[in-house]
Amino acid sequence: MNPLYLALAALFGPLLVAVLLGVVSPLRHTGKPAAWLSVFAAVVSAVLSVVLLIEQLSMGGALVDSQVSWLPVGGQSLVNLGVHIDGISAPMLVVVTVVALCVQVYSLGYMADEDGPGLGRYFTYHSLFIFSMAALVVAPNALQLFLGWELVGLASYLLIGFYWTKPSAAQAALKAFWVTKFADMGLLIGLIVLYTTSGTFGWDAATVTALGTTGATWVAGMFFVAVVGKSAQFPLHIWLPDAMEGPTPVSALLHAATMVAAGVFLIVRAFPIFEAAPDILTIMAWLGSFTALFAASIAMIQTDIKKVLAYSTCSQLGYMVAALGTGAMMGGFFHLVTHAFFKALLFLVAGSFIHAVHSNDVKDMGGLWSKMKPSSVLFIIGSAALAGIPGLAGFFSKDVILEEVYESDRLVLWAVLLLTAGMTAFYMTRIVMLALFGARSEKAEHAHESPLVMLAPMALLAVGAIGVGYGGGTIAEMAGIEAYQFHMSMTGYIATGLGLGGIGLGVWAYSPARRSTGVFSAMAPAVRFIRASAVDETARWLYEQFLLGLANTAGWVDRYIIDGLMNFVAWATIMAGRGLRRGQTGVVSDYVYAVIVGLIMIVVVKAVIG
Amino acid sequence: MGAFIAFAVIAAALLASAFMAVSTKNLVRSVLWLALTLFCTGALYVTLEADFLASMQVILYTGGVITLMLFTVMLTDEIHRVDRASTSGRRMAGGLLAACVFGAISAVVWVSDLPALPETNTITAKTIGRSFMTEHLLAFEALSMLLLAAIIGAIVLARRRDP
Amino acid sequence: MPLSAYILLSAALFSLGVYGALTRRNAIGLLVSVELMANAANINLVAFSRYLGAAEGQALTLFTIALTVAEAVVGLSLVLLLYRSRKSLQVEDAAEMKG
Repeated sequence: MNPLYLALAALFGPLLVAVLLGVVSPLRHTGKPAAWLSVFAAVVSAVLSVVLLIEQLSMGGALVDSQVSWLPVGGQSLVNLGVHIDGISAPMLVVVTVVALCVQVYSLGYMADEDGPGLGRYFTYHSLFIFSMAALVVAPNALQLFLGWELVGLASYLLIGFYWTKPSAAQAALKAFWVTKFADMGLLIGLIVLYTTSGTFGWDAATVTALGTTGATWVAGMFFVAVVGKSAQFPLHIWLPDAMEGPTPVSALLHAATMVAAGVFLIVRAFPIFEAAPDILTIMAWLGSFTALFAASIAMIQTDIKKVLAYSTCSQLGYMVAALGTGAMMGGFFHLVTHAFFKALLFLVAGSFIHAVHSNDVKDMGGLWSKMKPSSVLFIIGSAALAGIPGLAGFFSKDVILEEVYESDRLVLWAVLLLTAGMTAFYMTRIVMLALFGARSEKAEHAHESPLVMLAPMALLAVGAIGVGYGGGTIAEMAGIEAYQFHMSMTGYIATGLGLGGIGLGVWAYSPARRSTGVFSAMAPAVRFIRASAVDETARWLYEQFLLGLANTAGWVDRYIIDGLMNFVAWATIMAGRGLRRGQTGVVSDYVYAVIVGLIMIVVVKAVIG
Repeated sequence: MGAFIAFAVIAAALLASAFMAVSTKNLVRSVLWLALTLFCTGALYVTLEADFLASMQVILYTGGVITLMLFTVMLTDEIHRVDRASTSGRRMAGGLLAACVFGAISAVVWVSDLPALPETNTITAKTIGRSFMTEHLLAFEALSMLLLAAIIGAIVLARRRDP
Repeated sequence: MPLSAYILLSAALFSLGVYGALTRRNAIGLLVSVELMANAANINLVAFSRYLGAAEGQALTLFTIALTVAEAVVGLSLVLLLYRSRKSLQVEDAAEMKG
């Protein structure tokens, strides 16, 4: 079967479902049938992506590179749209579709309480998202990636604001949209510079040569601005914690595994351009590391389980950005893949807990180990993977990152990232202790295990969280990176040591005997306030002063100048009419008068002109 | 010589009666002066050897139109048979405009090359009639339609409506 | 007589008609002035007809006479209607089309 058709089916299946459900309201309002339709499309996409991956494994170069010209200008095509499956997009596509499938199946259970129209709407957005993200992943050039980018931003807005009757959800959706849209200016400017300098939207070696160093720096820099927004790096991380207002499966899919990873994916895709801009790479390395540390420290003091995971995502994305900033592609990309699995798993299990106790707060979740054993086990697997316990996926990918940073002689950043690894282990252990082994609260009394429809996808993701790590060599080979062979190095030992140390500290600090948030509670308010609010407050102030001010000025101009002009024209017309009306006296003699005058004028004019 | 005197007398009468027709306040008198003007026009036609036309002029105008006008005037009350004086400003403007018209036409006459009088007059009632029945037949027929329409219109407009 | 004499005569008559049309405030007075103007045109036509030797001139004159008569008829019946509804022949009293 022609791989191009497989790819197109994987892409357009969800789009078809999204359009169908979007347009045909009665179908959408049926709820469960609409959901099954969406899930079916997701299954098809996932299966086809896996098939494509298998085929790609045995290919040397790109499996599919098929494009159609989109904007013909003067006979030539301005830009092409199409499908480009190669060693980078094939695994990414699998990640996207498989995680999306797991999340959709999980949602059948999690969102079961929603009414028909709401459920239909939810799955319509999900199908839209799969298409958008897939279009982004298989993009053959930067412009199509931009299209997919904006579409996933739209899907994110729609899904965060899914509970649109909740003001906080609506505001969170708007904030996410605004912040990422602001950052997307970077992508747009980058695209413009790219095209005007090199005449193409591509990212291969030829384009890089055409760009030159300054061109590449501009493009990479502008692209990076967009990445900062989309992948929630400091200081544009502020939207990600608020995005937790959306349903938990949405947080798992968009704001952990795939959409936020789109930024990292952009860097991986356009890596030739980034490699030609060493200044940008340095900025990336430093900013990524700082974000990793910064976000991890906030995660340590959160009590909302979703916010912990959100800041954790922020931190892990920082890892990826930092790794790519060293000029090596493997670490960032590998971690992208592994992180998708274990973070999605963690979010889904968190959703399982939230669903059981009807609260996001970890204080309401004590002692769930005995009540919800399967979910608890899965949560521990996910946490261990995140913390980098040897043998699980996170360990391998994190190890690659740390080694890359070490080999680029950035020892300060290496130390920062190691410290962050310890903090990561600590805050995840804290949650594990508080939620699973802490003292039981009243809400947790009535907790019961989630149904199979929710457990099965989680289990699948757990398999990925464990097993994907062993696929590192395969991924490297496919992506055309130099051969990767895992070996335990000094970095590895230090990292493992810190990880275990973090776990130990967490167990000690939060053991059932010492239930209270004790040691860190005194610092927590100050720490929390300064760190999270500062950026938020600045953003709000900027928004009010500049954006609203601009809007008010524009409104004034519209009302008084543009409308004023229109009103003036109308007024002038009326005045002229009134003046001319006085000539109509109604007396016949006057009209005769006018006729005679006209007659004389005609004669005179004729005589003069002749 | 004789022609000149005839013309001069008729022209003088014509202009004088026309002037009286437009200036007198009494409506009846105005109409009667008009009658005289129309009669003088007929006389003028005779000097132009348009005998048929002269008779038509007298019959139709002096006989028909004047009668009509007198009737209409008589159907109004006494008190309304006067023309209120128009303002002097209006009269001056009117006079000026009339003078302009006269001036314009005279200017045209001044610059134009006008034909001289042919010795004999070739136009008779016969030639006119022939012209009607051959070349201008359509116009002739149309005219009769128009006259019919005018008659019907006038009757419809002026009949006394039942209360 | 030269042709110009007749033309100037008709022009004078016409101007008098114009003067009357502009100054008369009475509807019938207006019609009288209109008659004068029509007659001036007729004189013009007949004069040209004689001097150019064309019968069309006199035929046209007959036409205009007939037309003017018809117009006077209809005009007078309108004046009659006007008088009936407004009890006045003054033109200003019929100025409902003002503005």
